[in-house]
Amino acid sequence: MAAGPTPDGGAAPAAVAARGLARRFGPVTALDGLSFEVARGELFGLVGPDGAGKTTAIRALAGLVRLDGGEARVLGVRAGARELRERLGLMPQQYSLYRDLTVEENLRFFSRLYVLPRAVYRERVARLLAITRLERFTDRRADALSGGMYKKLALACALLHEPEVLLLDEPTNGVDPVSRRELWALLGEFVHGGMTVLVSTPYMDEAERCTRVALVHRGRALLQGEPSALIAQFQDEAYEVHGGDRDLLDARLAALPPVREASPAGARLKVVVARGARDEVAAALAPLGATLAPAAPDFEDLFLSSIRRAS
Amino acid sequence: MIRRLRRSLVRVGAMASKETTHVLRDPRMLYLALVMPVVMLFLFGYGISIDLDRIPLGVADQDRTEASRALVHTLTESGELTVAADTTPEGADRLFRRGDAAAVLVVPQQYGERLARRERVALQLLVDGSDVTSANQVLSKVDALVRAETRRLAGASVAQAQVPLTVKVWTRYNPAGRSAIFMVPGLAAFIIALTAVLLTTLTVAGEWERGSMEQLFASPVGRLEIVLGKLIPYLVLGLLELLLVVAFGASVFDVPVRGAPVLVLLVGFFFVVGMLGQGLLVSVITKNQLVATQAGLLSALLPSLLLSGMVFPIENMPVPLQLLSRVIPARYMVHALREILLKGNGLAVLWPDLVAVIAFAAAVIALSTLRFQRRLA
Repeated sequence: MAAGPTPDGGAAPAAVAARGLARRFGPVTALDGLSFEVARGELFGLVGPDGAGKTTAIRALAGLVRLDGGEARVLGVRAGARELRERLGLMPQQYSLYRDLTVEENLRFFSRLYVLPRAVYRERVARLLAITRLERFTDRRADALSGGMYKKLALACALLHEPEVLLLDEPTNGVDPVSRRELWALLGEFVHGGMTVLVSTPYMDEAERCTRVALVHRGRALLQGEPSALIAQFQDEAYEVHGGDRDLLDARLAALPPVREASPAGARLKVVVARGARDEVAAALAPLGATLAPAAPDFEDLFLSSIRRAS
Repeated sequence: MIRRLRRSLVRVGAMASKETTHVLRDPRMLYLALVMPVVMLFLFGYGISIDLDRIPLGVADQDRTEASRALVHTLTESGELTVAADTTPEGADRLFRRGDAAAVLVVPQQYGERLARRERVALQLLVDGSDVTSANQVLSKVDALVRAETRRLAGASVAQAQVPLTVKVWTRYNPAGRSAIFMVPGLAAFIIALTAVLLTTLTVAGEWERGSMEQLFASPVGRLEIVLGKLIPYLVLGLLELLLVVAFGASVFDVPVRGAPVLVLLVGFFFVVGMLGQGLLVSVITKNQLVATQAGLLSALLPSLLLSGMVFPIENMPVPLQLLSRVIPARYMVHALREILLKGNGLAVLWPDLVAVIAFAAAVIALSTLRFQRRLA
């Protein structure tokens, strides 16, 4: 049974509530019971590799895909409802603005879909163009913008109506490092201003900037929580490998069952091993002339080892 | 309520003005709407013209008298028939095979003598039936000319009492029997049907392909608002096109405009909405420009060409096709245009056509709005 609107007397509904989202596309399972909740005012990250189901999840929350099962609610309202669309902003991953329209024409078109009064439109566009630093490009056609500028325009279009909840699907995909940092700084400001932001990303360094994250793999959430807390609960141990020939080490490590993951970290090799298995691994590597030194686990270690465990 | 309607109108206006910008920036659309129809009208207008002039006629004159020469003279006087060869009845086949003659007239021996004795004389006309259109024209032309010759002979020799009943044919509305006058109104409807469907097919499928549907669907804009916003600019374009085609038909092919031009616009308005709606429906279902263009083209081209009565009279079709033609809007537009332009008829005659195009327009708009799924997958 579909839940009705939350009674006013009770606690305010979660900004975003995904419960058991399921969707198959032919033989491909995009969502396999994905559940997570985002509280108001959070910067929530949906983190996972390509094909994990992040885009389908965000589209489901915007009411753009039919679900085989589960329930998607935003601000306590069924996803896709008309009243909700006035309060929700979406920045899709793919190009979805009009390429033959200029920056200003795109902005004006979307402002009219939200029926913003002219004065409000002028004031907001001036502000959005200023923070995205697009003021000088208002007459440029969208197809002549760089990847980063296009993303900022898409962001501005999604923000025109000052949504309570903003969904962003891999906003930094194909964006240069400087624009990436700017985008994240902007997201931080929005959240500071009271907006709820849900962002999907495949990048671990971006995940660490979120208040909370859900690690998504094969259509379900493997882990959820604050990035630092998740790392603190890390059940495995991380080490740096000193010395030894890299190729020989790789082959040896791949054959050791307690080794969850081995990944290059700068010039060295970083390994994640099951708790208590340090001596076994060290003994196996000693003949190759390599030693283990303890290292702080980071988010990437956590992510890779959770995926390894889930597979 | 009024506030919701006002907000809705703002969104329809936003869609319409955005769409207008697309059209103005894409010369292909303008070409499709304003240049192609005129080109098509010229090509079809001249190409489908089925008036035969200077039909080659073989003459096998076995009499060779003054009377037989007078007969041949009467037949070829107007220039519609010309003597292509002097031949014999046996030589007819050879002329037909080489395509040198469309028909061979055989004048029997003693033609002049028997005429002088007031006997009945049978002339023989051999016709090349491999081209039915030409054969029919030759038959009717020779028939008319021979009848005229009969009257001339009868008038000269006997009293008219010998021919108690005569039919005087007087063709109204198209006295010269020019096929362009009959074809152009049909062509106008056909061309509009074709281009209108293509215009909207491209625009909606384009939104799916360019990915802009995702952003559009995430906004508060409603399905009907999208449909109406997309229709308005193309409706203006379609009506311009209709006026252009009728104006060219009137000036180049001398098609008369006997009725009120405003009636053309009235029926044309709903006809264009219907055809634009058909294009919307096709692209809402296919979501792909290539498939949509093909499907749209076929769905407009075949019925509008074959079942509209533009070329083939509907009364001559098998009953199932006649019934099918009733749901083809071009049928009503073709009929209405002929009634208005050629006969100068008004709403008293046109109302069933008007009702039909309105019903079709309402049905396809409703259907495409319903089939328009607010979903990407």
